[in-house]
Amino acid sequence: MMINPEIQDDSLSIYIHIPFCQTKCPYCDFNTYSGIESLIPDYVKAINSEIHYWGDSLNDLSVRTIFFGGGTPSYLPEGHLESILNQVYKFFQIESAPEITIECNPNDIDTDKLTYLRKTGINRLSFGVQSLDDNLLTILGRRHSSEDALTAFAKAREAGFNNISLDFMYGLPRQTLTQWEDTLNQAIEINPDHLSLYCLTLEPGTPMKKSIDSANIPSPDQDLAADMYTTANKILENTVYDQYEISNWSKPGLNSLHNLTYWRNKQYIGMGPGGHSYVHKTRFNNINSPRQYIKRLNHIDPNKNYNKRLPSQTINTMPTVENIEYIESKLEMSETIMLGLRLSEGISEESFNHRFGLSIHEVFKESIAEAIDLGLMINENGTLKLTDKGNLFSNEVFLKFF
Amino acid sequence: MKTDHIRNFSIIAHIDHGKSTLADRLLEITGTVSSRDMTEQIMDQMELERERGITIKGKAVKMSYNKQGSRFQLNLIDTPGHVDFGYEVSRALAACEGAILVVDATQGIQAQTLANVYLAMEHDMTIIPVVNKIDLQVAQPARVSLELQQAFGFTDEEIIFVSAKDGSGIEDLLAAIIERIPPPKTEYNELRALVFDSNYDPYKGVVAYVRLFDGHIEKGSQMLMMATGSKADILEVGNFLPRPTQTSVLAAGEVGYIATGLKNVRECRVGDTLTLTNNPSTKPLPGYQPLKPMVFAGLYPSDGDEYLVLRTALEKLQLNDAALVYEPETSAALGFGFRCGFLGLLHMEIVQERLEREYGLNLLITAPSVRYSVTKTDGEEIEVDSPAKLPPTHLITEMKEPILSLNIVVPAKFIGAVMDIVTAKRGEFVRMEYLQNNTLDESVPDSSESRVLLEYRAPLSEILMDFYDQLKSRTHGYASMDYSIFGYKAAPLVKLDILVNNQPVDALSLIVHKEKSLQQGKTLVERLKNLIPRQMFEVPVQAAIGNRVISRETIRALRKNVLAKCYGGDITRKRKLLEKQAEGKKRMKRVGNVEIPQEAFLAILQLDR
Ligand SMILES: Nc1nc2c(ncn2[C@@H]2O[C@H](COP(=O)(O)OP(=O)(O)OP(=O)(O)O)[C@@H](O)[C@H]2O)c(=O)[nH]1
Ligand code: SF4
Ligand SMILES: [Mg+2]
Repeated sequence: MMINPEIQDDSLSIYIHIPFCQTKCPYCDFNTYSGIESLIPDYVKAINSEIHYWGDSLNDLSVRTIFFGGGTPSYLPEGHLESILNQVYKFFQIESAPEITIECNPNDIDTDKLTYLRKTGINRLSFGVQSLDDNLLTILGRRHSSEDALTAFAKAREAGFNNISLDFMYGLPRQTLTQWEDTLNQAIEINPDHLSLYCLTLEPGTPMKKSIDSANIPSPDQDLAADMYTTANKILENTVYDQYEISNWSKPGLNSLHNLTYWRNKQYIGMGPGGHSYVHKTRFNNINSPRQYIKRLNHIDPNKNYNKRLPSQTINTMPTVENIEYIESKLEMSETIMLGLRLSEGISEESFNHRFGLSIHEVFKESIAEAIDLGLMINENGTLKLTDKGNLFSNEVFLKFF
Repeated sequence: MKTDHIRNFSIIAHIDHGKSTLADRLLEITGTVSSRDMTEQIMDQMELERERGITIKGKAVKMSYNKQGSRFQLNLIDTPGHVDFGYEVSRALAACEGAILVVDATQGIQAQTLANVYLAMEHDMTIIPVVNKIDLQVAQPARVSLELQQAFGFTDEEIIFVSAKDGSGIEDLLAAIIERIPPPKTEYNELRALVFDSNYDPYKGVVAYVRLFDGHIEKGSQMLMMATGSKADILEVGNFLPRPTQTSVLAAGEVGYIATGLKNVRECRVGDTLTLTNNPSTKPLPGYQPLKPMVFAGLYPSDGDEYLVLRTALEKLQLNDAALVYEPETSAALGFGFRCGFLGLLHMEIVQERLEREYGLNLLITAPSVRYSVTKTDGEEIEVDSPAKLPPTHLITEMKEPILSLNIVVPAKFIGAVMDIVTAKRGEFVRMEYLQNNTLDESVPDSSESRVLLEYRAPLSEILMDFYDQLKSRTHGYASMDYSIFGYKAAPLVKLDILVNNQPVDALSLIVHKEKSLQQGKTLVERLKNLIPRQMFEVPVQAAIGNRVISRETIRALRKNVLAKCYGGDITRKRKLLEKQAEGKKRMKRVGNVEIPQEAFLAILQLDR
């Protein structure tokens, strides 16, 4: 058997973090802030330096997807997105017809903005709708109503976007199964191209977690949340949407290519404060603080050429980077499984073998047997996949591989 | 040095009354430790001692002190205050002529104060009463002084007031040590050294901590242990300053250590008398009562493959903790492990923590049990320290359980509350004594504030179960207690079995009083229901006596276990979350296909809540 642990494909995804939100939602623990809008111009300058830096050193990789996440990227004033995208095109090798996604909030989008976004080359929208029930939207502290969401979606279609994803949340305080079914049915009706359904996690330190701990809001029932997940599966089963990941459904051919990069454990560079990256078998992230991020990027010389450096050097000398971790082969295997099993395509013996030069059945013999025994996984002609039950207990499966 | 310039003394007190802090001040004022090197409770060097802020092992230290032109050698032994380690106090006392009795000026006499004073009196020691913490606002030195006079017959002039914190009164104390404590007396020329403690050093073998009563000893001498007959060439002798420091010779009256090079602690037992091979003594010193463990529990590696690691770890730990006993045991539920005997629950906890910390083990400790005496129908009498070893009911004629003599010190207004708790624990009242005659004390207007000593007899098994917590909470923290084994008494006892997912889990079985069995079975099952995490399937939990199920609960099946969305490629965080879950699972034991956490095995300790 040929062992070639150096196999790495040469594609790259780019994530750009926009750490600004008009207001901060009470459940959110993302690295995003409200009230620091005055930093935006300096932030754009900084991220353009960062793009230059990484573009120089990673220009042997070709970029397939670009993702503006946040925060609320759509909240950026006009002109800035364009400047950032131009910089990406200038310093990175971009494949033809890349997938370029932007996350939007339904309330800061109008026809002008949409037309502008379309002009910049962005071709995929991801709306944080979360619910189509106004009471639940209030509990979530969202700035939009269900009507705002429906209108924004219609306008986006008018502006010519033909790849639109909607995010919804279940397992919310006070949410009933009927409310959830209604939201889903309404969503299907307006015919988006992609759906992401996430269970609310109560993150430590968030205002929502605190309200629940102090019994101001009832704690969501996790058994009910499980029912909601199962119900969503049933509702979507007889539609055009295919489940391609534990929490994601899309029309055929409209999977999120960007998120597939993560799940297939491939390379990406995350820029902006708190951005996470995985290149050259190394995981690392930028510091969270936007102010510090801007400050440290002042030290990067915009006129210097960085492309001669070794990859490890570029990572080490980047002043915004912290938590650098080299991923050993064994850990890479575990991560590949943890991520890949989320996908309905599963993990094939062949792809594992191709990547690691080893048989997945030899390396993880016991773990696989246990998971199959518990009815959480199946081996379908050499491809390992989670069962429906396995989707609900994915952690129990992943745990066995670490 | 002539023995009349030597003073040997222990510091004894109830827990936390400031023994180790007082030792700090003595070390400082005598220049044994420079103020630069001084840390709080400098003698408590064990990691667990520092973390918990208590003394676990007794420790000796030699100090020098000049008084009116003469140099004195002062040997101090600091002792632990916790009741589990009471044996350390009697060992220390046997090595001394005097004892400093420390009493906290905010608390007065407590249960271990009494116990320790009686011990010192048994040893015929000179006791120097010291009222400590007088720097505190709430201190009541006059009242505590009166209490000491009335309870033990000290005179007003005898009592010394100090603050071990700010150092006031320490000079007076030193003067009293020199004046009042008699110098050691020697009777013979032949070496007699009492081994009052020991330690194991990988290079020096067993290191005996000794008090020399007669003769002298130096490196190279050939020593003989009088009880075991073991011989060895002495590798090193020295003093504690407080670090072990080599010296040329140890002479009669001194306290120090002897490195024996022996590889087996059993060859150099604590309490034995050490003498010289070529000029042996024929009169051993009075030794110690052998230690009797009070509590027994199974120790199992969470990962069955680590059984041998655990065995080695226990062997090594025993070299430093003579109170620990163990023997191999097998459990149908938990596999191979060891039945261990401990002096009490704190001792048990400390042993578990030391094994995990110092040897990197993940351990599971089963429900603790006391040692019962069982008479079988064939007349044989056996000791049973584990419910699993109990013979079937039809083969038992009688079961006896260990009974404690329990001393509780509490303000009079709580007598009713204490009576209630003790009665609920099947205790019997023996006597009551006022520590303080109220009419003499103007500072105590209310007789309900004066303190009493309550003596009871109660089954050890009941006192183990959260008795102390209840006592503390019902008396607002004012009660203190001390106990010792009184004897054995027949009782109607039954074995309560626990079934998890329809399988009996032997490590959860317990022996309970018949009349309490229904209630305890019910409570235990309810607690287990909350302690055992939900599994992917429904899990019934039952309590049974013989074949009769007396209580049942069901742990509902878990419906999902998924991680939230993986945002912006932060895979590391996800992995860390998984690793944390995996870590949590490691701390659980799989019984059948159910994962049972450590807390479940200790649930019986809180059955009476
Ligand atoms: N204010 C004040 N605090 C004191 C004094 N002496 C001791 N303490 C405090 O009382 C607590 C207990 O002191 P220790 O010296 O550890 O008591 P101990 O008697 O050695 O305790 P054990 O060995 O666990 O029985 C510590 O927090 C000390 O700082 C004193 O004179 N004044
Ligand atoms: S809009 Fe999104 S990123 Fe911003 S606070 Fe709300 S949930 Fe967080
Ligand atoms: Mg102490």
